[in-house]
Amino acid sequence: MILPVDDWILLEAAQDGDVDAFEALVRRHQAAVYRVALRMLGSEADAQDATQETFVRAWRGLRRFRGESAVRTWLYRIVTRRCLDVIAARRPTEDLREAKLQTGADPAEIAEQRERLRAVTRIIAGLPGEQRAALVLREFEGLSYDQVAAVLNTSVPAVKGRIHRARLAVLKQTAPWR
Amino acid sequence: MRIDHERLPCGTELASLVLEVADGQPPADRLHEEGCPYCQAALRDVRQGWGEVEALIREAVPIPAGLTAQIMAAVRALARRAADSVLLGLPRGETRISHGVVGQTIQRLAAAVPGVVFASAKPLAHEPPEPGRLSVAIRLVVAFGPAIDTLADAVRQVVDRRIPRLTGAELGRIDITVVDVAEVPD
Repeated sequence: MILPVDDWILLEAAQDGDVDAFEALVRRHQAAVYRVALRMLGSEADAQDATQETFVRAWRGLRRFRGESAVRTWLYRIVTRRCLDVIAARRPTEDLREAKLQTGADPAEIAEQRERLRAVTRIIAGLPGEQRAALVLREFEGLSYDQVAAVLNTSVPAVKGRIHRARLAVLKQTAPWR
Repeated sequence: MRIDHERLPCGTELASLVLEVADGQPPADRLHEEGCPYCQAALRDVRQGWGEVEALIREAVPIPAGLTAQIMAAVRALARRAADSVLLGLPRGETRISHGVVGQTIQRLAAAVPGVVFASAKPLAHEPPEPGRLSVAIRLVVAFGPAIDTLADAVRQVVDRRIPRLTGAELGRIDITVVDVAEVPD
């Protein structure tokens, strides 16, 4: 059940140690956090771990959060940082290998819609981390360029550049299917 | 495949066509674009390619079963470690009850009072410190309709009466703040 209670009320209660109020925040925002993690990491198991770690970090950081942004924005910031850490810790060839699998693939082999979705997922998961984060927040979460810049703590022109390069990379890698 | 170059042979920036398709921006030069074979071919290509991404955007992402439980098990473990506690008795060894447990019990009692939409409780060390005694700050969101002061009194009474029986802890101050009024559908 989703309570008809504002995020900031749940947040203040959680800051006072109310675990149930924090659980209400988890239930409200976990789908968005998991979605971002899944699209950034391209793996359900990694996304699940990143989602758990995000909320654990949020719990630990509750007292330091002063409500300078919306709770959702704060969580986006934590999950994208977590995912960027995971990406950075992966072996350098890991993401590239997955992306390359698709660039030379026979279009007939990936004709099934589901397979194509998986292939696009892998292509996105093969983008450089900063581009991935910007693209996912913009396209999958529907954030404005300003909001993406706020989450990633960078400028709007930098975000626009990353998203443009990410879009071009996806378009180029899906070109053999057309 | 026309996505190889940033600028088309007609001089149009590929970026503007991508923005047109992905962000719904209007064409920079509609007249040129509509009559230009390079632009039209590139637009078709971009639309097709971007369609693959849009299909993924539309795809529902189910939350894994048990994710909330997994997250909250980790959070509750952290909360338990950090919890303050109140000393209840010393007959043959200490009995302590954590502030979190007292807070959760108060929260449940308060939330069960008709007209309370959300309750949260923060137990505080009693001033002056006294074994077995706590104070508590309660936050409420109440439904629009019932008299708020009467509702707050009802919460105070039920908490004051039942907490000693349920936990063994005595309550000193019971401060209540109503932080919001919610419209609750019938």
